[in-house]
Amino acid sequence: MNIVGPEGKMIPALPDLFVWNEDQVQLMSAHCQSCDTYFFPAFHEQHRPGCSRQGVQKVLLNKNGILKSYTIQHYMPPLPFKTEGNITPYIIGLVEFPEGIQIAGIVKECPFHALKIGLSMEVVTFTLYRNEQGQEVVTWAFQPTDPIRDK
Amino acid sequence: MREVAIIGIGLHPWGKFPQKTFIDLGVEAVSKALVDAQIQWKEIETICSGIYIWGGNAGHLSGQYLASVFGETGIPIVNVYNACATGASAMRMATMSIASGQVDVALAVGMDVSPEGFLGAKSDDPKQDRDVLRWRMVGMPNPIYWAIECRKRMEKYGTTEEDLARVKVLLSKYGAQNPNSRYKKIYTMEEVLSSKMVSDPLRLYEICATSDGAAAVILCAASKARQYTSKPITVAASTLGSALYGDPTLRISAISAPAKAEAPLLSESYSASQQAYKQAGIGPEDIDILELPDNSSWHYLQYLETCGFCGEGAAESMVREGQTQIGGRLPVCPSGGFASFGEAIGAQAAWQVAEVVMQLRGQCGSRQVADAKVGMAQTYGLMGNSGTTILKR
Repeated sequence: MNIVGPEGKMIPALPDLFVWNEDQVQLMSAHCQSCDTYFFPAFHEQHRPGCSRQGVQKVLLNKNGILKSYTIQHYMPPLPFKTEGNITPYIIGLVEFPEGIQIAGIVKECPFHALKIGLSMEVVTFTLYRNEQGQEVVTWAFQPTDPIRDK
Repeated sequence: MREVAIIGIGLHPWGKFPQKTFIDLGVEAVSKALVDAQIQWKEIETICSGIYIWGGNAGHLSGQYLASVFGETGIPIVNVYNACATGASAMRMATMSIASGQVDVALAVGMDVSPEGFLGAKSDDPKQDRDVLRWRMVGMPNPIYWAIECRKRMEKYGTTEEDLARVKVLLSKYGAQNPNSRYKKIYTMEEVLSSKMVSDPLRLYEICATSDGAAAVILCAASKARQYTSKPITVAASTLGSALYGDPTLRISAISAPAKAEAPLLSESYSASQQAYKQAGIGPEDIDILELPDNSSWHYLQYLETCGFCGEGAAESMVREGQTQIGGRLPVCPSGGFASFGEAIGAQAAWQVAEVVMQLRGQCGSRQVADAKVGMAQTYGLMGNSGTTILKR
């Protein structure tokens, strides 16, 4: 598994959050074996009270999850959210992974009319902007597992 | 522990005041509170001051700044930041300073001058400050969090767009009658439902603005309160709550939440209100008026459940039936709420307390709740903190 993307072409906007190769993108979580809690980001531990906090290991989450809530955002947030131009309206989805954690992210390739709680989503990348070296600066995102044909 | 009473309150009206500094607002609120309590500055024995987070050292030591303006007297000053619960935290510290017997008179104060637009990030170090991730990786200003919870609620209970709009319509009527509110216009359902969509399903008029304002509360040992006022208001409870493990809320700042709920939604506010009921020895059924944090229409509905005023999914019908109106079973935000004031983070919890005090004193004119005896001020809170104040006459 590549910790950074295909050489030179894409870089994550911030490190240690997700990994990718040609086939899939996966979010980087951590799991506590003592209290069975998953964390995201991996470096922000949030244990069950009384947990010994022993046996925390980095894990990659399943590449698929279920959409549990969403919003369509109509105004651009201020910096430090940086994109190439105004991307509104854009979708933010809350996706639940089989491990037992819900994670928020931008949703792409999904027409608004198809948005529905319960939709199966897969983790993908989303290009925020190109940097001075011409690399795509990317974040994680979600898109419907089964492509939706726009009406 | 000694009983504690509120003997004075002072407000700087809410709005946008580009010519004023946070200390200008704070000084006006404290000056009014001193007059209201008929007390001299030199009689204040401790200051619990809300931090002004955008004001550098002067803002972080706002209590010392205030003391320098009114005249330094060497008293203990503590500056506190607990986001939306900042004023509630100042209230709790002031209450405990008196209840413990250490001082007889205390000042709790909060003041804020909000930056323009969406409230933004405060650091750029994602390893230390998880808040950075939601900005740089996802693009999530606060209303997105509220919209995500609101969408869950709509799915679960069938909340409609009209239910959300009805909250603004109702609150705008009260805000129009409050001399300290920022927004005085009375809205119709059509106007709210045709306002711009911001974070679907929440529209512009269903999300609170960011405002400037200040509020001061002077507290006193109950045994001495009548030296200053004929209408002391008793502090029945002043509590803070933090979050519970397993709270399923996607909390502001976080980009993840547990899939399996092991605690109530908004568990920090649940914790604060439950502690308050225990401390006051009363329950939600005994509350005559409620000031809750209506940062959005979703908050208004959700807080009725979170604080035990109705069962799951029952808030919408409570509002539809008029139970939360003045004259109803539980008048909610007769001040006009954040919908009419906007949030001024460091000041708003102290303002909520001041509004309840005015109601219990019977000073609210056309928006007075008849015969209100017990009132509650409930805050929201960033990253798992919240405060509850229960007052009675």
